[in-house]
Amino acid sequence: MYAALELDRVTKRYGAVTAVDDLSFTARKGRILGFLGPNGAGKTSTLRMVLGLSAVSAGRIDVLGAPDGRSVRDRIGFLPEERGLYRRMTPVEAIVFLAGLKGVPAGEARRRARTMLEDQGLGEAQNRQIRQLSKGMAQKVQLIAAIVHRPELVILDEPFSGLDPVNQQTLETVIRDLAEGGATVVFSTHVMQHAERLCEHVVLLAKGRKAFDGGVAEARSSVPRALVLEGALEAGAAGALPGVASVASQPLEGGGWRHVCALRAGANGQEALKTAFAEGLDIQRFELREPTLHDAFIVLTGETPSPETAFTGEAAA
Amino acid sequence: MRRLLQIAAREYVAYVRTVGFWLSMLALPLGMALVMGASGYMEASAPPPAIVLIDQTPGQLYLKPVSEALTRRGKASGRPRHDLVAPPLALPDDPAAIGAALKPWLAGDSRLDNRRKLSAAFVIHGQGEAVSVDVWTENPLLGATEAVRTTIADRMERARLEAAGVSSDLLTAARALRPTVTDFSPKTSQKASLVNRLPGVIGFGAAMLLWSVIFTGAGILLNGVIEEKSSKVLEVLLSSATVPEILFGKILGVAGVTFTVLGVWGAVGGALLGVFAPAQAADVGRVLLGNGLVFYFAFYLVCGYLMYASVFTAIGSFCETTREAQTLLGPIMILLTIPVIFLSQALRRPDTPALEVLSWIPPFTPFMMTARAASNPPLWQVIGTGVIMLVTVALVMWIAGRAFRAGALSTGKVDFKGLVAKLRGGE
Repeated sequence: MYAALELDRVTKRYGAVTAVDDLSFTARKGRILGFLGPNGAGKTSTLRMVLGLSAVSAGRIDVLGAPDGRSVRDRIGFLPEERGLYRRMTPVEAIVFLAGLKGVPAGEARRRARTMLEDQGLGEAQNRQIRQLSKGMAQKVQLIAAIVHRPELVILDEPFSGLDPVNQQTLETVIRDLAEGGATVVFSTHVMQHAERLCEHVVLLAKGRKAFDGGVAEARSSVPRALVLEGALEAGAAGALPGVASVASQPLEGGGWRHVCALRAGANGQEALKTAFAEGLDIQRFELREPTLHDAFIVLTGETPSPETAFTGEAAA
Repeated sequence: MRRLLQIAAREYVAYVRTVGFWLSMLALPLGMALVMGASGYMEASAPPPAIVLIDQTPGQLYLKPVSEALTRRGKASGRPRHDLVAPPLALPDDPAAIGAALKPWLAGDSRLDNRRKLSAAFVIHGQGEAVSVDVWTENPLLGATEAVRTTIADRMERARLEAAGVSSDLLTAARALRPTVTDFSPKTSQKASLVNRLPGVIGFGAAMLLWSVIFTGAGILLNGVIEEKSSKVLEVLLSSATVPEILFGKILGVAGVTFTVLGVWGAVGGALLGVFAPAQAADVGRVLLGNGLVFYFAFYLVCGYLMYASVFTAIGSFCETTREAQTLLGPIMILLTIPVIFLSQALRRPDTPALEVLSWIPPFTPFMMTARAASNPPLWQVIGTGVIMLVTVALVMWIAGRAFRAGALSTGKVDFKGLVAKLRGGE
């Protein structure tokens, strides 16, 4: 089977509110799919439908060959956005209990729990009550509980939220290891850097509708490259340079301007720089900036652009 | 089923290993032992109240019989109930002045020998058929007063009858006359005894037991679910097990906790009864097993617990704090107080029409039918209320399942209107 997860024109309504509107995408087996969107875009609603926690209003879902996650819940690992564990249990007890619900025998679950806790640097904490652990440690315990039964499909809802940079890095490693082990990983986030580092395939959601579905490189290409010029030159001069489509300017504290020049498709910025220097424009600093997934996210989801990305108006249109 | 049992086991272990569980397990026996021990100790250690008895009637007609009557009161318990003492000072002749004279002793400002306080002074005065008793005390000794009154009344009555020519022997013989009264049980056509009342008492006890099981068990469930909801564990559980598995796993686990406590109490109580009152213990066993009452009780206990526990669990799934739950629990708590009001009536008159009517209303059926079961209600009522009970329990559990799913995934405060909307929508 090619797809571990497939959504076909899925809609979710809560009364008069449409949380997810006509959403279709596919998560391929053994790959990492980034499910991106701003807060309130419908990511959690979608994941809950996939898991069978809430009903689909319209459309069809195929999860590991089943119409929703309920009949294949033992093959799915889920980390919810709002995390919590039984506070008076020890990490081992909590993991063994949740693994037991997924069909892992207690002895085996205990062995795996201890190994995974050691791997995550929680060996010392495995017999302390969860309420005595730090938030980061508790989140690691919950992640282990979500994957201890070696699921084929791992669904992580905003897994990086609340983690410090070191633990974010650790989590990225865990996600890569899961995919290398053959699991399909779907994670939602509104922080693009993680998706950029982890995913080949991203789905962008905005206001319940799919804004983009494809590779990271393809998403980036939806945003033009930019030439950043700082100096005394005027916005009009910057806008007249060859290959520049639009300019967004802001004054610098010490005087002068910072112009972010959006380049037309195919323009590489070299021509514009050559012309600027040939014309003797006052340029103190320049930078050729490649678009990031963050830029693509802002453009594709229709979020209010920051000054740095204001030039992307034509791409958004 | 595997997941349901795992959830039940976790619930059970989670509570059993808390200090609160052991405290509640030991609270009743310890509390009873403490109360009994304390009252026994106080009884044994405190000297009997000191009483002064003054008879100012001509010839001190009542001094001896009243003294004997007060002394007799203590003989039944093997311990004197009063200590008749001599007045601590020479008392005035005027009865009205005696109280003032004894005031320092009665108030405790002055003490008798051994630092004892004078508890009361009985002053009998007057003559013929105009006899009065003044009781000076700050702590009315109702038992003593009644004994004094009855004894003097008896003497006055005897004096009147003797004056009318009735001999003392005849009077004593007449007073000894008693009809022979025998209670018969219409069910057994044999002499009624306390055993005949035992089923009613056991029914009442079982209904109160059911009430307390529901109250404590449902309370534990409610708080447990609120804690899981607030700590965001419920969503993890929902992704790992079905709603019925979670709901009934919890209900089963908490039932285990409640019945462990009750089982221990019952075993200890039964053992004590068996040791100290083996005949009564045998009677209780005969009633429970002989009439099949134990099966009625088990049926209504299971139905009642399932119905209320489902409702409490579902309500808990909507709430992140106990305060939020209080709003939704109001109507349920009112429902739960109604059976208590009527249960004592069921003990005295199990065939009262009001109880029959309440037996047909499902929220009250388990309590009312448990209490009435001992009085052999008509079979059609047993079957009819039982069927309605089963249908209601199934319906409540189905609605509770929907509510639990909706509540577990809901966020924010839910009012009653919102709750109904979520139930209708299923999420």
